[in-house]
Amino acid sequence: MKVRDFVLPAAVFFAATLAGCAKKEPPASDSEVKAVFEKTLPSTVEDKIWQRAPLHTAKLLLQDMVEPRLMQASTSFVRVQSVTDGRNIAFRLSWNDATVDDVPGPGRFGDACAVQLPASTTADVPAPQMGEEGRPVEITYWSAIFQAVVNGRKDDISAIYPRVKVDHYPFEAPSLKPGSAAQQEMAKRYAPARSLGNPMAGPRKVPVQDLLAEGPGTIRQAEKSLSSGSGKYSQGGWSVLLVRPLPGGIQAGGRTQAAFAIWEGSHQEAGSRKMRTVWIPLSLGSAK
Amino acid sequence: MARVYNWQIGREMSYWYPERRSKKQFAAVFDTNKCIACQTCTLACKTTWTSGKGQEYMLWNNVETKPYGFYPLGWDVNLLEKLGAQNWDGQRYAGQTIFEAAQAGERVLGWRPDDIDYANPNVGEDDCVNAVDRGAYFSGVHNSWFFYLARICNHCTYPACLSSCPRASIYKRPEDGIVLIDQGRCRGYQECVKACPYKKTFYNAMTGTSEKCIACYPKIELGMQPQCFVNCIGKIRFAGWISKPENARADNPIDFLVHVKKVALPLFPQFGLEPNVYYIPPLNVPREFLVQMFGPNVDGALETYRNAPRDKDLSGLLTLFGSTELIVAKWKRVEEQIMGYDDSGREIIRVPLREPTHVRQAFDAARGVARTNIS
Ligand code: SF4
Ligand code: SF4
Repeated sequence: MKVRDFVLPAAVFFAATLAGCAKKEPPASDSEVKAVFEKTLPSTVEDKIWQRAPLHTAKLLLQDMVEPRLMQASTSFVRVQSVTDGRNIAFRLSWNDATVDDVPGPGRFGDACAVQLPASTTADVPAPQMGEEGRPVEITYWSAIFQAVVNGRKDDISAIYPRVKVDHYPFEAPSLKPGSAAQQEMAKRYAPARSLGNPMAGPRKVPVQDLLAEGPGTIRQAEKSLSSGSGKYSQGGWSVLLVRPLPGGIQAGGRTQAAFAIWEGSHQEAGSRKMRTVWIPLSLGSAK
Repeated sequence: MARVYNWQIGREMSYWYPERRSKKQFAAVFDTNKCIACQTCTLACKTTWTSGKGQEYMLWNNVETKPYGFYPLGWDVNLLEKLGAQNWDGQRYAGQTIFEAAQAGERVLGWRPDDIDYANPNVGEDDCVNAVDRGAYFSGVHNSWFFYLARICNHCTYPACLSSCPRASIYKRPEDGIVLIDQGRCRGYQECVKACPYKKTFYNAMTGTSEKCIACYPKIELGMQPQCFVNCIGKIRFAGWISKPENARADNPIDFLVHVKKVALPLFPQFGLEPNVYYIPPLNVPREFLVQMFGPNVDGALETYRNAPRDKDLSGLLTLFGSTELIVAKWKRVEEQIMGYDDSGREIIRVPLREPTHVRQAFDAARGVARTNIS
């Protein structure tokens, strides 16, 4: 308790001092991710809060434990900052990426990132490789493909291949009134994954997904979608904001662990082919 | 990796999951000699299953001209080159399957097409090997060649698509062996697209999942053959059930063609998937090409096929192709009649071994007109 009480104000003080400097570099936090306490959570990756939230630079490792593995390293570091208001927690992830990959297609993959937290806070954490049976982890996943659609790209083949010519879609027949219930129902039937409520298929309001996992290959949609976020590409890299509820059993002032993953679309990374971190201690600040 | 038995390569091999054969296995025989590349099958499939958004480029059924046609581009030659030497020691495959040749970190040896590779489904169409001299005409010897290869998903006994999926989103139905991608579970990693050597799974960019041929399972469940079979103009296709070789029954049409007569062969058996679409190989194509494509039993299959006019059982069964929409589970020849029965033993079709021929006089004296004979 004592140590944490000391560390947090110190970090805030350090950040506040830096905020006055021209460079506005946030303070570094080498050994853990420190979620500073703020009454209001940041709503963008550019929010001023990020100038004072401690920055943890996490080394990324190859996912080379389970097949299919990633055999060639791509992204080497992810920079992590965090803020909590006692109910929710916000993460800002940023990493270098020379290419914007936000267009889906055969052989095309999107840039993406994720934060993983143990579903319940216990003394020992589940396996960092997406948890274990009976010991789930909660994952908030952001994808550049989702972001592009949320930003207004039409969820239509012509948005990907502008010169495409399509003869006819049965669910857009002139006999069907566009937007009518019958027309929408038919359009859904022609998109099998959408009919089954698969979150990979739109329509989409947020660029993130709330997921649960109990080991590699077990990802499933969480019962409720509570997370939000936004990502932006500038100056050779992505910055992504992820906001989600604090996991069960943890409050302001508490401690848990977090792990992070980055997928490089141009490197055909998806699913288990990713760069990831080990568990990293996550400490939550509290109201003074 | 488990050890499983693959009868098509005459040996055990490594596979991601243990051997677990379905109660029945959907299978088909395609007679390449009868295909006219009309693409009616392609359109029958397209209009039935893939006219949604994101499915524009998908052809779960396609027909390509061999050797220069591919969909997607280079689907077979790319893998053949990666796989290295593929020698047979008699009936036993001496090379590596795609499961055995998987590189470190992979479950399967594969490659992933780019979107542009799907852009020319009719590349190489009707292109033949060897130039045709000006003024050349057919004199009984085939100096140049090509043939049409109709392709659907093979609903493999050891599917590479299924074994490559890290989420186990692909499953093989225990009741009929049809391989499906669970559209509620798939997360669009495209591992199956990379792994399937026949390139019969397709990524749908609009739903974010991969999709594939479903063998028209709603029809199969009603005892009917899939759309690409019943719409086939050339009547080259026949759907049914295949047994393991040791359980083959001569009254099962697929068993008869594959196991008894050995006239229909798997496509690239050396890949190791035990694919369940069997091809009667084309006549007049160089032997080396056919052996690479259909395995070591090409000579026997062609000899049997050439002899079909003198083999009433074989030619009789071939007349059942395209004769009914229903699945013929059993068949029988009684002299010049061929009968087909469904699963319950009910007769569903009866065809004569030879259609009766009527010769019509060219001049109709009653009406005072000359007629042109049509078939
Ligand atoms: S042909 Fe390809 S898609 Fe079909 S079952 Fe075999 S591996 Fe899977
Ligand atoms: S419908 Fe039959 S004959 Fe026509 S291309 Fe398809 S398989 Fe060949």
